[in-house]
Amino acid sequence: MKRLITLNVNGTDHPINVDVTVRLIDVLRDQLGARSVKEGCSTGDCGICAVLVDGKLVNSCLMLAGQCDGRRVTTLEGLLDDPEMKRMQGSFIANNAAQCGFCTPAMLMASWDLARRASSPTDEEIKVAISGILCRCTGYYQIIDSIHQGCKGTRR
Amino acid sequence: MSEQVSELLDSLRAKAERGDLLYIGESVVRVDSLEKVLGSPVYTADLIPKGTVYAKLFHSSVPHGIIKRMELGQARSCPGVLGILTPKDIPGLNESSAVLPDRQLYADPVVRSTGDILGAVVAETYPAASDAAARIKVDYDPLPAIFDPLDALKPDAIRIHQKGNIARQMKIRKGDVEEGFSRSDVILERTYRTQFQDAVPLEPEVGLAIPEDGGVRVIGSMQSPHHTQAAVAKVLKLPPEKVHVIQAVTGGAFGPKSDETPFDVCSTAALAAVKYRRPVYCGLDREDSMVMHTKRHPFVITHKTGVTSDGMLVADESRLVGDTGAYASLGVFVIVRATFHTVGAYEIPNVKADSFLVYTDNTYSGSLRGFGGPQAIFAIESQMEELARKLGMDPLEFRLRNMLVPGKKSATSAVMDGSCGLPQCVEKVVASSNYREKAARYRNQNGNLRRGLGIALLMHGNSLGPEGNDYGAVHIEVLSDGTISVGSGLTEYGTGAMSGIMQVASSVLGVPLSRFKLERPDTSKHRESGPTVASRVVVIGGNASKQAAEKLRGRILPLAAELLKTDDKRVTMVDGMAFDRRKPSAKVEWDTIVAEAYRRGVGLKEEGFFMAPPAPWDQEVGQGTPYVQYTWGALIVEVELDMSTGYYTLVGAHAAYDVGKAVNPNGVLGQIYGGTVQGLGYAMMEELLHKDGAVVNPNLGDYYIPTSMDIPREFKAFIVEVPGPLGPFGAKIIAEPPIVLPGAAVRNAVLNASGVSVDDLPVTSEKVLMGMKLRQAPRTH
Repeated sequence: MKRLITLNVNGTDHPINVDVTVRLIDVLRDQLGARSVKEGCSTGDCGICAVLVDGKLVNSCLMLAGQCDGRRVTTLEGLLDDPEMKRMQGSFIANNAAQCGFCTPAMLMASWDLARRASSPTDEEIKVAISGILCRCTGYYQIIDSIHQGCKGTRR
Repeated sequence: MSEQVSELLDSLRAKAERGDLLYIGESVVRVDSLEKVLGSPVYTADLIPKGTVYAKLFHSSVPHGIIKRMELGQARSCPGVLGILTPKDIPGLNESSAVLPDRQLYADPVVRSTGDILGAVVAETYPAASDAAARIKVDYDPLPAIFDPLDALKPDAIRIHQKGNIARQMKIRKGDVEEGFSRSDVILERTYRTQFQDAVPLEPEVGLAIPEDGGVRVIGSMQSPHHTQAAVAKVLKLPPEKVHVIQAVTGGAFGPKSDETPFDVCSTAALAAVKYRRPVYCGLDREDSMVMHTKRHPFVITHKTGVTSDGMLVADESRLVGDTGAYASLGVFVIVRATFHTVGAYEIPNVKADSFLVYTDNTYSGSLRGFGGPQAIFAIESQMEELARKLGMDPLEFRLRNMLVPGKKSATSAVMDGSCGLPQCVEKVVASSNYREKAARYRNQNGNLRRGLGIALLMHGNSLGPEGNDYGAVHIEVLSDGTISVGSGLTEYGTGAMSGIMQVASSVLGVPLSRFKLERPDTSKHRESGPTVASRVVVIGGNASKQAAEKLRGRILPLAAELLKTDDKRVTMVDGMAFDRRKPSAKVEWDTIVAEAYRRGVGLKEEGFFMAPPAPWDQEVGQGTPYVQYTWGALIVEVELDMSTGYYTLVGAHAAYDVGKAVNPNGVLGQIYGGTVQGLGYAMMEELLHKDGAVVNPNLGDYYIPTSMDIPREFKAFIVEVPGPLGPFGAKIIAEPPIVLPGAAVRNAVLNASGVSVDDLPVTSEKVLMGMKLRQAPRTH
């Protein structure tokens, strides 16, 4: 069964005719070209498909596209010109926070989301902010260092 | 920093949009960082063209049996299905095996594990292929199955393969253990067990095949593209040059992507692409990946160790049994590495070891970071702890008395040379953890929350050793715009190793890394360079890179000398500029030299090739020098344990590794942190469970890996540099070693906090609690 919905992705309205069973991640990756959104488990456990829906971090493999009708979806592609995101990306590069890179877009989304709320978060706050996203390469330490540095001086 | 980085990112993005390879300044060396933080579409699944169809593998539901009949009709008539691939669709050999030819691509007619692949459904969409695959019914004649490796060794055991259940056997003989035991004051015999661990690269195994002039182009996530090419060509009965394999950016690997699963997905995609004349994507979901790919071998290891009352090791006899599951895969080399490391980083005058790699009907085992090291070191470091306790000695003092230092001999009687940096590693972690003061304090604890320290020491033979010819080729070409393009059959899959070998060339040439670009490994362009395994890229590939760069330097410097009107012995290149050493004001830029070379037709393309010296290992005698150099390390872990529940948390980790020369210190630290945390997962929580041969927890909801909440609150990592004889500038390997020690370090810390010895990994709170309850329970016998 198909249904016409409007997804606002990265600031642009997209009217899309979707099957009601289609997941948000599939629409983002396959129809709208947001390939920074990665799939690692399909069961909501690894978190590397994280995007923001109305400003809230969610796993896009667990959400149906239909549930996002009329809502604002933000992926890394939509934040590439954002100064706070650039700061965070620079910090990730400088601190060797991306090894294989597969979790990196989701880590950046969670970090950017945290940076909006806290300009100098504690280790514990950072760990909680990224706790839903698995990274198998880094052991998280260089990511945590990056977030400390990337949050400094952010505008809230 | 922010403004600068912001500008830098803008310029780099512009570059990226033009299709240039991305790179950021000198302080950050990885050439592939930018594409990763931009979320660029560089992984296999990001490259799927329009019109692609999807292949879904389906696997056995019984651990051992003979396929009687496959009912495919219902699946075939599902909407969107193009067809179903079975062994009948294979024009070439039905084989997919990395070492011994004991495994088929699609099992036919015998299945030996529930991970055995039977075929693939090809459909217009992935959900359609998946739905159809669920409708396939297979009838089997069941055969008796074996799940415990010790059962497989029994004389009356059924044979899983025709040649029997032992895939490989090995031994070490040094001195006379019986004589050693007769001189020992204390003898301890104890058995340790380890579990299946899943590598969990966040990107599962995926392959994309596109029909291409008389053959097929294959793009996939893998460690060794040339091996994949050979495997696919064999299945499709094509000449290798008609199978054009490109390694896409790979989202983590850790070992299994050097084994058979990349062959399986790429061969399936290629078969379907040729059959249906469509691009085909064969990507495993997490569950299929965890069922179908190789895991870390469970081991049963028994040590009998003799020691004098003053704490000197005299003799050790060990028996190692590794469960390779249904197929040998890389297990034939895992058992070798495990055996060489059976007494760890200690000198023992009399050593006897016998090891067996055995088949069972569990899903198969193969490569996983550490490659036999984590199992062997868990056993021997647990044994050292138990011996120290039996002797009433401090576990650190006991280790210091017996550990390998320059001049001492390993289990195979290899004499440790001056490149053994173990003492320096121990010194670092002992000081950092404040071990002596804390260990004394923690001996008398009474409260409910108790602390404990655990130590483990590492020796890790570098590169392949006797596992095969240890070579690598790297080519470097200077393009007309001055860009230095580096290519190899060796691959990058996350560690930053390829940036490391470019850094080597960069330092030889005196040109900053920002002028370098890394070519995507491509079998039509790059020479076969052996497997990308064993953390050998920087050591072996680094030497090849150094050689190629030196040859280029030999062409560049005379040209520069001419331009500077001086003698080429007086010329040096620094930061992309050639100087006359005696007249530093006279300089000429890299681009000018390159332009001059192009004007004169001086070729600026060189290849470097390096082969490690052979490892003289006598397998008949069980003695020799299997490795040219070793990585050394020490780890101290501190835990806090709740005596009422057995629950414990990691307070601190102190790690030091002798890497010879840290080519990229930030990258080395990344390996120490990442490998240690993956090892802590192995120590504390990770266990892929089989029940009657079926994987019980093939998903990340039931198979836990460490999250950010699980890591030690404090982590101090130290780089020790005692140059080795093998790697460029003295470099030793570092990606694998840090995963080796956490198993024993955590186990020993938990023991020192609670008094409970957990001899089978992982060290769960349940086991600790059970141990405490058993100790309290009144003896009934």
